[in-house]
Amino acid sequence: MDYATSFYFTATEIGLSLCGLALLLVAGWQGNKSARMVTIISVAALFGAAIFSIGLFDRATGEVAGRAFGDLYRADAFGSFAKVLIYVAAAAVLIVTPRFFERIDAYRAEYPVLMLFNAVGMGMMVSATDLMTLYIGLEMSSLSSYVLASFLRNDERSSEAGLKYFVLGALASGIILYGVSLVYGFTGSTNYAGIRAAFEASFSTGALFGVVFVLAGLAFKISAVPFHMWTPDVYEGAPTPVTAFFASAPKVAAMGMLLRMAMDPFGGEADAWRQIVIFAALASIVVGALGAIGQQNLKRLLAYSSINNVGFIMIGLAAATPGGVAGALTYLAIYVAMTIGSFTALLMLRAPDGTNLETFADISGLSTKRPALAWSLLALMFSLAGIPPLFGFWGKFVVFQAAVQADLVALAAIGIAASVIGAFYYLKFIKVMFFDEPTREVEATSPVSHWVVLGICVAIMSPLGYLLTVPLGEWTAQAAASFVAAM
Amino acid sequence: MHPILLIVFLPLLAALVAGLTNKAAPSVFAKAITTGALFVSAALSWPIFLGFVAGTYEPTVVPVLKWVQSGSLAFDWALRVDTLTAIMLVVINTVSALVHLYSWGYMDEDPDQPRFFAYLSLFTFAMLMLVTADNLVQMFFGWEGVGLASYLLIGFWFRKPSASAAAIKAFVVNRVGDLGFMLGIFGTYLVFDTVSITEILAAAPGMSGATIGFLGYNVYTMDVLCVLLFIGAMGKSAQLGLHTWLPDAMEGPTPVSALIHAATMVTAGVFMVCRLSPMFETAPVALGLVTFIGAATCIFAATVGTTQWDIKRVIAYSTCSQLGYMFFAAGVGAYGAAMFHLFTHAFFKALLFLGAGSVIHAMHHEQDMRYYGELRKHIPLTFWAMMAGTLAITGVGIYHLGAGFAGFWSKDAILEVAYGRGTELGNFAFWMGTFAALLTSFYSWRLMFLTFWGKPRWIESEHIQHSVHKTPEEAGEDTTGGYHPHESPLTMLIPLGVLSIGAVLAGQVFAPTFLDDAAFWGSSIFYNEPLIHAMHNVPYLVKYAALIVMVIGLVVAWYAYIKDTSIPAKTAEQLGPIYRFLYNKWYFDELYHYLFVVPAFWLGRQFWKIGDVGTIDRFGPNGIAWVVEKGSVGARKFQTGYLYSYALVMLLGLVAAITWVLF
Amino acid sequence: MVDLEQYLPILIFLFVAAALSALFVFLPMGVSRLTGAHKPDAEKLSEYECGFPAFEDPRSQFDVKFYLVAISFLLFDLEASFLFPWAVSLEYTGWTGWSAMVIFLGILAVGLAYEWKMGALDWQ
Repeated sequence: MDYATSFYFTATEIGLSLCGLALLLVAGWQGNKSARMVTIISVAALFGAAIFSIGLFDRATGEVAGRAFGDLYRADAFGSFAKVLIYVAAAAVLIVTPRFFERIDAYRAEYPVLMLFNAVGMGMMVSATDLMTLYIGLEMSSLSSYVLASFLRNDERSSEAGLKYFVLGALASGIILYGVSLVYGFTGSTNYAGIRAAFEASFSTGALFGVVFVLAGLAFKISAVPFHMWTPDVYEGAPTPVTAFFASAPKVAAMGMLLRMAMDPFGGEADAWRQIVIFAALASIVVGALGAIGQQNLKRLLAYSSINNVGFIMIGLAAATPGGVAGALTYLAIYVAMTIGSFTALLMLRAPDGTNLETFADISGLSTKRPALAWSLLALMFSLAGIPPLFGFWGKFVVFQAAVQADLVALAAIGIAASVIGAFYYLKFIKVMFFDEPTREVEATSPVSHWVVLGICVAIMSPLGYLLTVPLGEWTAQAAASFVAAM
Repeated sequence: MHPILLIVFLPLLAALVAGLTNKAAPSVFAKAITTGALFVSAALSWPIFLGFVAGTYEPTVVPVLKWVQSGSLAFDWALRVDTLTAIMLVVINTVSALVHLYSWGYMDEDPDQPRFFAYLSLFTFAMLMLVTADNLVQMFFGWEGVGLASYLLIGFWFRKPSASAAAIKAFVVNRVGDLGFMLGIFGTYLVFDTVSITEILAAAPGMSGATIGFLGYNVYTMDVLCVLLFIGAMGKSAQLGLHTWLPDAMEGPTPVSALIHAATMVTAGVFMVCRLSPMFETAPVALGLVTFIGAATCIFAATVGTTQWDIKRVIAYSTCSQLGYMFFAAGVGAYGAAMFHLFTHAFFKALLFLGAGSVIHAMHHEQDMRYYGELRKHIPLTFWAMMAGTLAITGVGIYHLGAGFAGFWSKDAILEVAYGRGTELGNFAFWMGTFAALLTSFYSWRLMFLTFWGKPRWIESEHIQHSVHKTPEEAGEDTTGGYHPHESPLTMLIPLGVLSIGAVLAGQVFAPTFLDDAAFWGSSIFYNEPLIHAMHNVPYLVKYAALIVMVIGLVVAWYAYIKDTSIPAKTAEQLGPIYRFLYNKWYFDELYHYLFVVPAFWLGRQFWKIGDVGTIDRFGPNGIAWVVEKGSVGARKFQTGYLYSYALVMLLGLVAAITWVLF
Repeated sequence: MVDLEQYLPILIFLFVAAALSALFVFLPMGVSRLTGAHKPDAEKLSEYECGFPAFEDPRSQFDVKFYLVAISFLLFDLEASFLFPWAVSLEYTGWTGWSAMVIFLGILAVGLAYEWKMGALDWQ
């Protein structure tokens, strides 16, 4: 075994781990006064990891095929694409985080360290090609997420969110572990290639049980219906930057993990799991849309919105074709930008006394007081609703196209029809911001860093984003081709 | 650059500039730029026309832009210049330029002048596109363009409900005709596999006698196509059945009536029939229909015109009637005569309208002739211009002297050719036309006598009362009410003068060219040489018929409106039902109201109440919204907030998934 | 085909184990009853488990420090249990195994250092 190659392929995880450990000691000895510095180093480390992942993008092909540590781990185009998204999303969220906590004097140097460990876990999730690696990545990400959710220890809602997340997450982990043990029991392998080979030889009911258990556990991580129940409560309760993080990077990681698992080890049995995925996709779209209507809390609303969007991404998975995977990845990329943009805008909404504004009543008439912010939100909401010419439309378009090409016309049709319901509450944002009377005072300025993140997200969502369609199409197609190469 | 490009596109440019600048610049800017553009266009048009008259100008097609290339359907933007186009160019541009100038005075107090002038120029552009079209689609573009401009101009005073209603009526009625025109174009493409006018006309003679299945019957192809196309012409040219919009269109400003609803747009139907004359020649049934409709319109409109009181409505019905002449001339095969009448009519009808406008202007916007009288002493220049127009429209002229006003030459030619055709329909058209000429003479002189002779009856008018702040009782003996009509400004009088010259001389000068010069027409229309000979060889009685009936009409009008002014009221009383029938325009509006409007409203209400609200809304938007609302309440209730219920849902989902894949 | 005979030693082992454990439990009890004082009270009779009364409303407050120690214990207990198989198989895994374990221990050491520095090991 060539260790140099293995270390090279896992360099991002190793680097981020070392960085995290070092910063942990810094946090321990320097205390909270180092929080800013630790944050900046973490953001730099995440960007470095992203750049390194870009470099790996098409390096790991051919003979090497990106296999590290005896195929416990694989660095391929798919993993690199997902990791770039994850690292950039985590970094973007980290940029807009400190302000939120500093105001209530609750920022701690451990926060960015937790984010780093989380990023390591997420990177492993999308690159794992062995059930053991997968589980370690998953738990690493989950455990730090639980802590992040309850980061405001003295806040009742934050603690509640952390506890709920932890208990249900542990349940989901248990389900996955049970599935993993079943799969291992019936195939005699924890390696994806081995599992696939064993399935092709014979596919027993017990193995099917295992597949369903694993997929169900993963469905919890991406908060697909009916494993979504934790999402609204956790998103609402967790501090807003944490919610922004939960709604972006971990979604990519969990979705990437699910895509890899469904397409690689379970790829030969698509017929067995497709119907579950279709049901979960449609149920997510409908429940996400229905649940969001009537919500007053914007974070809760965006939680439902994320459930809704996961449904659309799963349509790409249901197609179970390279085109479907490419569509799902495209959608993910666009979704991450939209989500981070929306939450950043939410973070910029504050009353002059520093309290968070996070209900519809708070943003009414926003266009008169913060026109730039209101217009940015308008672009993001139209984009989330999938209204052309904004870029959000493109994401929906590619997944529906993939579904239609895979002969899932009915699924695409229902999905399109259901997306109309979703448009309602996105438009409600706009109605409230632009047509209602202002009721609350809003802080007039926002930090430059927030504007930069928001500006980039809005620029991607604007019709300018369509300039990205060609490269995005190429990258996602190449990423999706990773599975074909692996087969 | 070919001058035709300037002629056609200058008005468009002017319209865009004037319309987009609108009130940003002083209104004189919009007025100057549009009027200037039109005068340039007019000045460039005359050399082309005179070139054709002199025989020195060759027909040509000027390509502009590629338009559509789709399979065998291929056509471009191209401007066709031939004799027919040249005639229309001078008519359109001359009248339009004069109307632009006239509007300086007439619209002087209007706050929306830039819009008005932009519309006028836009109309002119569309009309020019129509007459220069090289293919049917381009012609349809112009056709719809003039329809749009007409709609905008009729409803120019859109704050007046009657103007808005009239604009909508014009648009909707024209739509009926347009449907026919469109079907005609589609059919033509289907049959000829091209929309190029040149190619269609070249192929048309070969199609004579071909049949096609239509509505389950086997019918002559060309008849079907030509009838459909003629329906389009009927709508645009306000022929019997689709004429109802024209009188209402008088709600627009008077210059609009003169330009669009007298001189140019309404003649588009006649122009189209002449343009496609080789096609119509292969369709005897369609030509018969053209003749019949033309003759019927001619007499119908003339009868109605005798009873109207509104000065503009009288002239509007007169227009309708004159268009009937043009159509039956075309129907009997004398396309040259039809075009000639179009040409002369444009001058004297524009003159009459502008003169009427001048009278209205003088009489403080009063349009009812019952409140006029003795105006010849107060506005003499307008009076003389109107006199020229009246002499022209009534066709005053003496055959043996070889002298007459414009209408004499063209109208007589039409009556003679109808008689000379020798067919039953031709004779029918001749008699109808002759009787209509009598009525024309009557209502035209009636208009003159009521307006310019007799005692002033001004104080009865509410407009005048409003102006002098007196009631008739207060005015007492003084029936003028102390009102002083004033002659119009120079900008209005100059167009009157120029058009008067046209009304007097246009026939005299151009009659030989239009009627007898086959070389002049070239291949632009179907020129029937033997028919022209037959026309010249009709009995003298026929040649003098128009003059005789004109004199009869004049005498009757003089007797009734000057000699003994009690006669009209007595006659109206004695012939009560007939009078009311005519006064109410043969009850066409009422007929259509009950035949189409009421059922359409009923149907619409059914669709609305039962179809839309009752079915689509109920099960569609409202129903779905209801379901969504309930669903959202359910989804929220589902979210209890209790950890154990969340875990339960997860496990139930897992069990359900396993159950599903197992069975 | 299961050959039950093979399980006989286990059965014997079970019996022996049961006998021995009974001996270990009851012998001290019997000896103490015979030799020591016997004065039971409520506190002595109550069952003892993890510092909590066994039957009580679960929604009571408790000291989180207990859990900190417990988790740390769990962590290092597992580490130790992980070390045994590693130690016996070290001759097979060689330097790879050795370095892997050192890295693992290093990470744990960093964690311990942080924990220590943050005062999680102090009871007060």
